[in-house]
Amino acid sequence: MKAFINIIKEQVNSFYMIQRLAKFQLKIDNQNNYLGFFWEILNPAIQMAMYWFVFGFGIRGSAKIDNVPYVYWMLAGISMWFFINKAILNGSKAIYQKYSMVAKMNFPLSVLPSYIITGKFYGHLALVGIIMVVFWISGYYPSIYYIQLIYFMAMSYLLAFSITLLTSTLTVVVRDVQMIVQSVLQAMFFLSPILWDRTGKMPEWIQEILRLNPFHYLAEGYRASLLKNEWYIVAEWQLTLYNWGLIIFLLIIGSSAHYKFRNRFSDFI
Amino acid sequence: MAESVIIKNVTKKYRMYKSKKEQIGDLLFPGKMGSDFNAIDGISFAVEAGDVVGLVGINGSGKSTLSNIIGGIVPPSSGEIIAKGEVNVIAINAGLNNQLTGIENIEFKCLLMGYSKEKIAEVTPQIVEFSELGDFIYQPVKKYSSGMKSKLGFAISVTADPDIIIIDEALSVGDQTFADKSLAKMNEYKNRGKTIFFVSHNLSQVRNFCNKIAWIEGGQLREYGPTNIVMKNYNNFIKQYHKLSYEEQKAFQKKLADRRKYGKAKVKK
Repeated sequence: MKAFINIIKEQVNSFYMIQRLAKFQLKIDNQNNYLGFFWEILNPAIQMAMYWFVFGFGIRGSAKIDNVPYVYWMLAGISMWFFINKAILNGSKAIYQKYSMVAKMNFPLSVLPSYIITGKFYGHLALVGIIMVVFWISGYYPSIYYIQLIYFMAMSYLLAFSITLLTSTLTVVVRDVQMIVQSVLQAMFFLSPILWDRTGKMPEWIQEILRLNPFHYLAEGYRASLLKNEWYIVAEWQLTLYNWGLIIFLLIIGSSAHYKFRNRFSDFI
Repeated sequence: MAESVIIKNVTKKYRMYKSKKEQIGDLLFPGKMGSDFNAIDGISFAVEAGDVVGLVGINGSGKSTLSNIIGGIVPPSSGEIIAKGEVNVIAINAGLNNQLTGIENIEFKCLLMGYSKEKIAEVTPQIVEFSELGDFIYQPVKKYSSGMKSKLGFAISVTADPDIIIIDEALSVGDQTFADKSLAKMNEYKNRGKTIFFVSHNLSQVRNFCNKIAWIEGGQLREYGPTNIVMKNYNNFIKQYHKLSYEEQKAFQKKLADRRKYGKAKVKK
């Protein structure tokens, strides 16, 4: 519990540093491309078009889900996925990759994953902005429910941070963890309702279990805020409580693991 | 004078494996596979405030490991370091990014060193001035020569103001004029009564700069005392070592290597 409080303090105290380092990271990542930061949006946009073509146009024949055309339904959910997938993958590698950069300084090491995540979050903000414009053009206008979107974006950030706090530490100790993270993420992606809607296609009890996947909660939350105009946080209050519990649980384990190994990172790298 | 750094029976042990199989075997059955290597083997000495201690010894003797342990970068396997005051390692090349320009790197590295926004604004002009890079400061660091890069790194590193400073091969930066300037900066630290650890192979620099010498040989402290006495003995040793035939040198190295495998404690038994 003490580790948990220390991590939170460290993050809050390093707020300015995280913001600046995230901006530098974006610059470093995109320095060599002519289109620069634009790729952070263009890349997911191309993938979205492909998913729509294969899963929406090809397999489903443009049927509607919950009264929303497939393409919009998918866009709202997948925008969250592009952020969280990259954030977790890169965040998990953060300490292992960047340790040598800060080894000789008194650098708060838990900031390494969080500045990587923050960098990806900037790209996410831009992508969500563009998707909003697409929705407005298609007749889904801004509403009071956009407030809820802020909550769900913050939740995505917190979930990514709580997972990477643990995985970035474990990756340093056992390099194979990175591979496990990659595989688990892929499985979670197809088990969550990001690309396809499973209502009525499976026995009730399997669906209930699949709802425990945190990406289910986030994807549905984005949709409720952008398209369906529902208060998803309240309507599914059990899931809200469950996801908060999950994040806090991960943060507690992650922070104690982080502090346990922090002094010995140099031995493992 | 008050003691500033006390090094108490410090040992650093590494596990060495010949193959991945051994590594996994050691993970499952600790102590059964692989062998120990004592990078630092029971070193103790105390340093007074205001001392400038030169760490000398042949390659692989453990100077850098010891300086890293004093700097708090590497935790010792046993023993302890008691440092009164803030310790800082002058790491010239750490924390510089090739993609960013010189001026961006100043902010980047200062952030990594944990400076606040105000402190960065304050030191940036000093760094630009000290680094002597002129208009090159606006060019990406990848276009710099290695000397220019070191100048920039050094100029940033010396803005720190700790009580105990560790310099590992840092004063041979750039051309002679810049090396003189850096030495002057270090002398300024010295005159302000800071405790300095200086690792170098440049013996004339060590002789001029340090008032005490710790001679490390095969992970152990061979001699510690005032510069003129230890330096004479070390010079004699080097001369004698050079006179040895290739086979004799190898035999000497092997003797040290064997001693390091088992460590001081076991040899005594």
